This record gives sequence, structure tokens and C-alpha cells, in this order.
Amino acid sequence: MSHVNAVVFTIVVILFVLVTVIGFAASRWRRADNMLQLNEWGLAGRGFGTFITWFLLGGDLYTAYTFIAVPALVFASGSIGFFAVSYTIMAYPIAFVFLPRLWSVCRVHNYVTPADFIRGRYGSRGLSLAAAFTGILALMPYIALQLVGIQAVLTVMGVGTSSTNTWIKDLPLFVAFVVLAVYTYVSGLRAPAAISFVKDTLIYVFVLVAVFYIPTRLGGWSHIFGFAQTHFASISPATKKPLGTFIPTSKSIGSTQFDFATLALGSAAALFLYPHIITGTLASRRRKFVKRNMSLLPAYSVLLGLIALFGYMAVADPVTAANVKKAGNTQLAVPYLFQHMFPSWFTGIAFAGIIIGALVPAAIMAIAAANLFTRNIFKEFFKPDASPALQTRMSQWVSLVVKFGALLFALELPHTFSINLQLLGGVWILQLLPMLVGGLYTRWFHRWALLTGWAAGMIYGTIAAYNVSNATASHWASSSDIVFGHTVYIGFTAVVINIVITVVLTLILKATKAPEGADETLPHQYTADPEQAPVPAPAGVGAVSD
Amino acid sequence: MTEPTATPSAPRDPQTPAITRRANPLLAHPITSVAIGVLVAAAILGTLIVPIYARVTPKIGDWPFFYFYLLIYMPATALVLWIVTLLQRRLVPAKADGADSAGTAGDPVPGGVR
Repeated sequence: MSHVNAVVFTIVVILFVLVTVIGFAASRWRRADNMLQLNEWGLAGRGFGTFITWFLLGGDLYTAYTFIAVPALVFASGSIGFFAVSYTIMAYPIAFVFLPRLWSVCRVHNYVTPADFIRGRYGSRGLSLAAAFTGILALMPYIALQLVGIQAVLTVMGVGTSSTNTWIKDLPLFVAFVVLAVYTYVSGLRAPAAISFVKDTLIYVFVLVAVFYIPTRLGGWSHIFGFAQTHFASISPATKKPLGTFIPTSKSIGSTQFDFATLALGSAAALFLYPHIITGTLASRRRKFVKRNMSLLPAYSVLLGLIALFGYMAVADPVTAANVKKAGNTQLAVPYLFQHMFPSWFTGIAFAGIIIGALVPAAIMAIAAANLFTRNIFKEFFKPDASPALQTRMSQWVSLVVKFGALLFALELPHTFSINLQLLGGVWILQLLPMLVGGLYTRWFHRWALLTGWAAGMIYGTIAAYNVSNATASHWASSSDIVFGHTVYIGFTAVVINIVITVVLTLILKATKAPEGADETLPHQYTADPEQAPVPAPAGVGAVSD
Repeated sequence: MTEPTATPSAPRDPQTPAITRRANPLLAHPITSVAIGVLVAAAILGTLIVPIYARVTPKIGDWPFFYFYLLIYMPATALVLWIVTLLQRRLVPAKADGADSAGTAGDPVPGGVR
């Protein structure tokens, strides 16, 4: 361990130990008589009020992607990275429309996962499996990305040995993750919910301090914006093109306004389709708490706008820019910026904030993926009579497996791979839009049409993303490609293809009177707001066993 | 297998009058409903239509318009959605079965009118 700043290291360790204690103690928080229910381990008893839901969802929505990858994109490409700000703005009004309906129907029928709802709505195991598969597939690289974020911070801290063996080199990361895995296993969703209080406080403090303090060190906002504008307009010697854009252009190819808008809209629609966000939502006690949070959570998004600006601060700070260039990894932009700008003790707080900020969503993602596997694959296809206790134990173990899978992912594969897969995860998860959001409003879509449309969107999205190349990468270069002469977000094109196929096939299948499948939901259940938590019995057709 | 499909506008159980009464709150309050629709649409379209704000000038203080607009639009969205939640309370009588139990006291809409 060389060049480790003792103050930074100590503060990070103290805060890590603090959240570990909270993580284990959380198992006693709001404890129920019978903890061997998936509603308890996986949804913390479905009893959270407005306040806890705000912290939980805030801690869930803003991940290492937000703190590390978004500023890194701004650092590398300029204004296009701000699509992330635009998409979080749009995500709330969009979710405000459909999320309360999803909450209500899941509450009434005791659905734990989005795939549970799909199954009940369309009476289709195949469609439910598709939803569960998509969810798990999209979550794995997302968890790995949290690790990549933690690793970025640890790298800048100088923690880690110089050994060439990956496992020894990344020992601190390994330790952090094992601890996380164990308290998630023990406490379930209660652990990230309790820790999110620490996370959100740390994030708020360091972002606000950074936003007011760093510009004073860099000659004010006018210098930061002015420098960025000049920097991104300068011509790269490698590609003979500008380094980036300062404002999305009105051209048809490149970092265009259309690309910006489709990226933002696609990501906004995808955000609340992610299983871990739905898990956080379903843990809320009342419908109105979900609605209320859609107007309270944008307060958190203001932060995101400020975090994206860290990318420009890193551009405008010559020392940080040189460090990032030397390391050859733009993901290090924010950690280097903080290390250079802040005194050690505050760097420690900021770094701890980022690390804890990555642990909270990683825990919820692992829980969501575990619930999907248990409910919609294990119980559905292998053990239909699984008791609630068995389902809970299964989920606990699967959450461990998912975490170690993600760890393997992050340690063994190149980091760019995790980031690419995470971009692809957004494309994939968006393909659930017709069946999930469509299904909340109408049963008109035919289940086989939805399945075909989903498959088409998944295949198109994956191939299109693979084929994007640029000067430095032959594949996976970006999440946008060129369709009909315009740069557009791949997920957007894929979901349009998905919807068109679904509509056309539905018309054909209705004409041929193909079996529609049973629908166990009733119209009024989409607006219901039952005060009592649903009876803890497995939803769907499975045997009702207490 | 060909059960009648459930559409959101057709509650048909006569045993649940509370639900029937709430069947069409949108028609009962057309102005409020339109206002809600317009507000939610505006919140989305304001950032979706990028040409509105993809410009450097006018600068607000040191901030180029593009960045200032995005920064201000977030609290604006929060405010709009808050107003929408308040407006929605007028659509659904608080006494209705299964609806929000809080706020019954100050409810200006007498139940059972519809």
C-alpha cells in the first residue's frame, strides 16, 4: 500500500464500519413476528412511509453510475452527458403517471416482482419468464458497475497492493463486498433502507460543498463554462473532429439534439422499469406515499445536475485533467478532482459517500434479482409449492450468488465491458415497457404479440449496440447509432420496433382468435389503496400455504 | 381461456358501489382533469423538446442558458407534480372506499353525489 493518505483512509474506514453496524442492526428494525416471508426480507414488510421511501428511492436511483460515470461522460464528451439530467427530470412525471397503478395492483395481489404482475395480468408463464430474465440480465452488469465505481475511488486513494494477482490487488474491494453481501443476506431490504440515510446525507453534504467551494478555486463558473466551451470545440489530433460539444447541435449526426432527446426519453421511461426501483417502490405503505415521492424526489435530482457539472470542473482543473490523462481512465475524473480540491478529511467524507452510495443500490439490486429468480423462475418452473419460508431462504442465498457473480464480472472482465453492458442493460429493460406499462392500462395487447415484440427489441438492441464503432473502439462504442441519417438512442429505436410488432401481431392474433390467457386483476385494483398489507400468501396460482 | 378481458373503464360488480361511484372521476371534473394532463405533459415536454433550450445565450449570471434551464427545470417539475397531487385530491372523494384515509375532515366533496 503506497501513497495512502492516512486521514482519508481512516475516515473512509470509520464510515464503512458505521454503515456495516447499521446494516446488521437493521435486521431488528420494524421487525415482524414472522420474518420468513418474502414480503419481509425482500420488501421490508411493505410498511415504509413517505420519509423512508424518499431516502430509500433516492439511495436506489442514484448509483455509482451517477457519481462516477455521468461526470466521466461529461468530462470526455461534453454536453451529451447532460442527457442524464434531462432524463431524471422526465422520469418523475412519467413515473407519476404509471407507478401508483403498479403499486396498487401489486399491493392488492401481493406481487413482489414486476414479473409477478405480468404473470397475473396475462396468465402467461412465458411472458413472465421473459420479464424476469430481462430484469436479472440488466441488473448483473449494473451491480458490477457499482463495483467499478468503488474501485475507481479505491484506485485514487492508493489502496490496494501492487500484486499482479487480481484477487490480491483488489482485496479491499473484495472485503467491502463480502461485508455487504452478508448484511444483505441477514437484513434484506431493511439494510439498504437504513444505510440510505447515511448515504443520502453524505452525498448531500459533499455535493453542496463541492458545488459552492470548487468554483471559487477554479476562477468561478464563468471560467469553468468558458474553459469547457473552448476545450470541447478544439480539434482532436486523433480524429480530426472536435473533442466534444458544449451544447447539443442541431445537425443530424453526432451529439445532436435528437440524440439527446431520445437518450433522455428512453432512459427516463426505463428508469422505473428496473426491478430494483420497483422493489423500492413496493416497499412503500400507501399509494399516496408513492405519488408524493414523485414530487419530492426531484430535490435529489437537482444534485444530479450539479454532479454532472463535476465533469466540467475536472476539465477546467489542469491537475485533475493531467491525472486522468495519465491514468487513461475517465472514470477517475471525479475522485481525482476531489482529491486535488479538498483537504484530506473532506476527501475522506466524499470518498466514503461514493463508496456507500454504490453499496446501497448494489444491495437493492441483488435483492431484486434474487426475488425475480425465486418467484418467477424457481417457484414458477421448479417448485410451485415452495412455502413462503423456503422462498425467503432461496432469495437470501440467491442474493449472495448474484453478488459474487457481479464481483467476478467486475474483477475478471475489462471495466469498459461493465459500462457497455450497463448501457445495454438500459436498452434491454426498456423492452419491458409495452408489457409492463401497457399492461397497467389495457389488456388489449396479446401476450404472444408482446413476447415476439420483446424478443425483436432485445435482439435488435443487442446487435445494434455491438455494431457501433468509433475511432478508438470497433464495438460497443456508444449507446446511440445512426438510423435514417439521424443519430438516435438504440433503446429508443428498439422499443419502437417492439411496439410496432406488438400492435401488428395483436391485430392478427385477435383476428385469428388466439387464446388470450386469464387475467386475475380487476380494473378497480389499479387505483386501490389498501391500508392493510396483503395477506402473506403466495400470489398467482401456486398452492396457498401458510 | 377466452375470458372477457378487463378494461380499466368497466367495473361491473354491483356489490361495490364505492367503486362504481369513482368509475369516472375524469368526467366529473373536466377542468381539473385537463389541467392535470396539461401540467404533466408540460413537465415532460419542457425537457424533451431540446431546441427550446439548446443555446448558450442568454446567459444567466455566469451560466449558459442550456445549463441554467436544466438546473431550474428540476425544482419546477417537483412543484408541478406537487400541484398535480393537490389537484388529484379533488377528483377522488376522500371518503371513497379504499382511498386515502387522511384528509377526510377537510373534504369539500360530499360523498355519494355521483
